[in-house]
Amino acid sequence: MDLFGSYALLLAFALAIYAIAGGVAAIITRRPLLIKSARNAGFAVCALIWLAFGSLVYLFFTDNFAMAYVAEHSNRNLGNLYKFSALWSGQQGSLLFWSFLLSIYVFSALFSYRGKHPELMPYVGVVLASVQLFFLTLNNFVASPFAVLALPGAGGVLHLASQADGHGLNPLLQYPEMVIHPPVLYSGYTGFTIPFAFAMAALIGRYPGEKWIHLTRKWTMIAWCFQSAGILLGAHWAYAVLGWGGYWAWDPVENASLMPWLTGTAFLHSVMMQEKRGMMRVWNVWLVFTTFLLVIFGTFLTRSGVVSSVHAFAQSSIGKWFVGFLIIIISACLIAFLKNRDYLRSDNQLDSMISRESSFLFNNLILLVACVAVLSGTLFPVLSEAIRGTKISVGPPFFNRVNLPIAMFLLFLTGVGPLLAWRKTSMESLRRNFGWPLLAGAIAAVVAVAFGLREFYVTLCLMLSAFVTFTVFSEFYRGARVISARAGSNLFSSAAQLAMRNTRRYGGYVIHFGMVLVFIGISGTAFNQDKQMDMSPGSVMAIGPYTLHLQNFDSDQQANYSSERATIDVDKGGKSVMMLYPQRRFYPSNEESGTMVAISSTLKEDLYVVYAGHSPDTNLPVIHAYLNPLVKWIWLGGLVVVLGTILALLPNRQAVMVMSPSTERSPVLGGDGRQPARASISARSQLPKDNV
Amino acid sequence: MSKRRRLALIFSAFVGIASAMLPLHVDAQKTERGKVIGTKLMCMCGCGQILRECNHINCPSSGPMIKEVDQHVASGEADDLIIQDFIQEYGEKVLSAPPSTGFNSLAWYIPGAAFTLGLGIVLVIIRMWRQRDVHRLASASAAPIPLATLDSEVKSVQLERARQQADKETEE
Repeated sequence: MDLFGSYALLLAFALAIYAIAGGVAAIITRRPLLIKSARNAGFAVCALIWLAFGSLVYLFFTDNFAMAYVAEHSNRNLGNLYKFSALWSGQQGSLLFWSFLLSIYVFSALFSYRGKHPELMPYVGVVLASVQLFFLTLNNFVASPFAVLALPGAGGVLHLASQADGHGLNPLLQYPEMVIHPPVLYSGYTGFTIPFAFAMAALIGRYPGEKWIHLTRKWTMIAWCFQSAGILLGAHWAYAVLGWGGYWAWDPVENASLMPWLTGTAFLHSVMMQEKRGMMRVWNVWLVFTTFLLVIFGTFLTRSGVVSSVHAFAQSSIGKWFVGFLIIIISACLIAFLKNRDYLRSDNQLDSMISRESSFLFNNLILLVACVAVLSGTLFPVLSEAIRGTKISVGPPFFNRVNLPIAMFLLFLTGVGPLLAWRKTSMESLRRNFGWPLLAGAIAAVVAVAFGLREFYVTLCLMLSAFVTFTVFSEFYRGARVISARAGSNLFSSAAQLAMRNTRRYGGYVIHFGMVLVFIGISGTAFNQDKQMDMSPGSVMAIGPYTLHLQNFDSDQQANYSSERATIDVDKGGKSVMMLYPQRRFYPSNEESGTMVAISSTLKEDLYVVYAGHSPDTNLPVIHAYLNPLVKWIWLGGLVVVLGTILALLPNRQAVMVMSPSTERSPVLGGDGRQPARASISARSQLPKDNV
Repeated sequence: MSKRRRLALIFSAFVGIASAMLPLHVDAQKTERGKVIGTKLMCMCGCGQILRECNHINCPSSGPMIKEVDQHVASGEADDLIIQDFIQEYGEKVLSAPPSTGFNSLAWYIPGAAFTLGLGIVLVIIRMWRQRDVHRLASASAAPIPLATLDSEVKSVQLERARQQADKETEE
């Protein structure tokens, strides 16, 4: 099976070269058979990558410890779920997993548009195959997951070897979320390849009109949705597993995932200007290019060891390959742009400063500045070391201070944008649209201050959250009221109908509301409390309204680990409200320890308890408790963002023209004096029967 | 009990309670100061976390470093001096954020400079686009109106009317 996987990857590599060469030849000669052949080669590359991936899955599930990668990342007692997630726990497997996910996207794109857009798709096929070729090069020749285990024998000669058992999986990765977080995040990363391929293809092929933008939007939204969900799942994993009481540490690897998300978000907004007004063609193409470049750059950061991170893979020489690929992409983007920049010329006009267009310009500016802030902070230690020879740290205090005002401005624009009309917004419209939302924001701020809130940014965040929420709900309310008046349905079903008639617009509003929830959740950080104590059975610790009574400790032996568990009775107002069981685990296969945090989560706050080990002074177990307000709002917000994206991806429920006999008398009579047969056309939406 | 004696009793009770609370208050202040200083420093074990937030099991750095901070705070040293001590011991990388002096201040200026530059570009773009619109309108009003344009003008008036009606129907 190891040979099977290796050969499948080698064949995929050869076919990817053919898909590129054949595609270029097809573009030049315009021969339909050659176009089809190159496309079929693309399909075959995908199928072969799937086979290689399948064979690696088989090697893990059959505990084939003759394979170096399997021996290093799995062991016999590892549960099946984690045997699967062990596939992407190391450099080699994760790169094959990257190729695997990319191949799903490539196959979907090639299959969806087979026989369509003949002027565009050959170019798309070539770009996609080129990206695949890079990753297949890594899979085959730089970081193959199919390397066999060899041990040095007499005279230093390597001999094939096999181990009785593997080293096992990193304990931090033995958590259910780690089974879904990397696939979701990687789906986001790899998904941005499709818009890049379309943008590059449209530019090189000088594809007329805005069609490529329409085709790209869906793929960008899918990738963006995965990226958003992946980032939040990663934050949740860090919160639930790492045991430091937080969810975002501005770690370089976290930053690497945030940067393409920021530029992707900017693109999803500015693309509307191109669709509606034919504006910002150059900007949009460069936003797509930048997003893809940041994806590759983020992968380089994670895998090269250029920045230190708890999430990063071990330092390796793979970084230079990514640097080379980045140089090739930047050069290709620049050459394609310089050669075809006249194709991107657009008749940009702005009727008014107070318009949806200008709000999008500012939205893009803020998102890009956020990206620059994150990028510069992430790379500054490297820059400092290169120039001054002194390494410095750029940690959360820097990122929080720099990004807070940017985030607040962005939140403000989230509320303002939807209230502004395209082209021009009249003063009367401004008064009408902004009056109530501004009042809601002001009331929220007054209430917050009256309740003793003195944190400037938290108050501002709550004020803007109320403002945005009010704008979102007022948009739904106004539309639903019209439908309700016409169809006689209640407001909720009318709002649902409204959303289904323009899924993109109302899905966007739902996403905005989800982001508001995330912001509210983040604002809770200002009120975090924590306490740490050396505790023995019978000890008591008070934190916020809770009193933690440590009852006892017990231990347990599982197949893959042994654990120590604290049993903590939690009181609130003198009444026992819950039992918490924080754990420490020891994994003998790799001799590493890990924590299992006990979290009691409500909308108001999380009680987060960590069994942090034994105190070196007293040798007593150390319990670290945190009281983190509003954290659950972040995960709820993430869920709302995903649901909003799914809504925005659904096709609109179209209003249909229904022919019905007219009851009106015609002013013109037929020759026989009778009213001529006539049908009037009335527009009815395709509503459920009870509403029609 | 005379009024003077009652006042004296109340005063001594107040002083007693206050003096009993003072050490607690000072302790709390020490802990708070220690926490604040802890957020300005990084753990040196290589985890990349803030000193106060590093909770790696058996971390060789965070425990001793936190103790060191507490000792400095207990001896009444000023925050700046404590931080300077740590810089001397571990180098600048012990700081959780780059200082806003010398070369390191560049880190703080980059986001602001990016914003200023971006804002300038956006404003120039807006101005260019608006001027283009003005030129378009001016050239449209100067040139004689061909029949086809008139027809399209009529259509655009109708379109505008339809837009207003749609706005009214969906917004009112």
